[in-house]
Amino acid sequence: MHSSLHNIRLAGLAVTTGSVARDYIADGLAAGIERAPLERIAKTIGLRERRVAAAGITALDLCADATTRLLSEMGLDATSIDAVIFVTQTPDHAQPNNASLLHGRLGLSKSAPTYDISMGCSGWVTGLHQATLLCAHGGAARVLLCAGDTLSRLTNPGDRAADPLFGDAGSATIVEKTGRSAPLHFVLGADGSGAEAIIVKQGGARQPAGPLALYTDAEGNCTHAANLVMNGADVFSFTLREIPGAIQAVMRLAGQGPEAVDALVLHQANRFIVSTLAKKVGIPEAKASSSAFERYGNQSSASIPCALIDALGERLEASPLKIVGCGFGVGLAWGAFAGEFGPLTTAPILPFPR
Amino acid sequence: MTSEEKLHLLQSEIDSVAQATLVTPLASLPDWGSLSILLVIVHFEEKHKLAVTGAQVRACQTVGDLLALIP
Repeated sequence: MHSSLHNIRLAGLAVTTGSVARDYIADGLAAGIERAPLERIAKTIGLRERRVAAAGITALDLCADATTRLLSEMGLDATSIDAVIFVTQTPDHAQPNNASLLHGRLGLSKSAPTYDISMGCSGWVTGLHQATLLCAHGGAARVLLCAGDTLSRLTNPGDRAADPLFGDAGSATIVEKTGRSAPLHFVLGADGSGAEAIIVKQGGARQPAGPLALYTDAEGNCTHAANLVMNGADVFSFTLREIPGAIQAVMRLAGQGPEAVDALVLHQANRFIVSTLAKKVGIPEAKASSSAFERYGNQSSASIPCALIDALGERLEASPLKIVGCGFGVGLAWGAFAGEFGPLTTAPILPFPR
Repeated sequence: MTSEEKLHLLQSEIDSVAQATLVTPLASLPDWGSLSILLVIVHFEEKHKLAVTGAQVRACQTVGDLLALIP
């Protein structure tokens, strides 16, 4: 789907990460892996450090902290929020939805509806699209979009392919209706035929509970039915097949060539994927940062706001930037966006609890 | 491109197969794993304009099998 929306702005961004630092090489050495292969993988993929949530901390806690800090930074009262959207696949409960729990915790207005979107790495873009729709057509003047996950809880420590990738984080984004006319462009899509490429089989209505027998794949990675299981090669093939086209389509929709783009902000899957995609769409790798991945890990739906603050925070505070971006992953789904962002308010990336 | 040239090109980009011959079993290479599979997918895409799936790469037993994916 192609969509262009006018008279809306991204007004503020904040990200809160988990508080526990993990180091890829130190963890690998402790697991009995030799240093040389660890360093080769670290170099190619950009695996360095990540931040995971402390025991008992959920995506709701991380998003609530990001929201509180952002509202304070912007000088806004929580009651000025007209709607709240929560993007997560690691909600506190099966019911009620996280957005309602956040609504109660922050004391939002009773006239503010709550929406949850169950999406992962592409979810911030889907949520941003919904937030801008509510502002452009739905009677809202200010929408809070929270996006975050604690995927590190779902991977198996014996899965050396997936476990070292994920960090935990929650983001808060404020979208506002404005008189400004520069549009935001979106290209969204999905390929549900690849839905099993990233899956947590147990824990939903189809398979609520059951035995957790360990399965070892051809490469020696161990998982069970309640773990996040990822077929990395299939996800990567999907990414190469669909994402360059989505990024090119959104640039065409915005009437913007790669040379006019100030920054390409991609889901921080890993450094190798970010640089491969940048190359394929003809944007210099220097404009496509993956430092958020190297410092915090793959943060699912919080990774794009984290990359925006990490790589561009000061510039976004100061002046408008032409930004193209794309989220992609579980579903398999994707969302590309293009537009002018800034000046806007950012809160620093901080851990919780501090 | 001869199969020898294809092998050298593959070896110049992917460390885990640098010492391999056409008949070396992939499973015997110490660094062969999910990262190598990603690197092979990109290598085929960039150097041979060939889209292969993870399952196709996983089904290969030797470096020669990998190169046989190139038409």
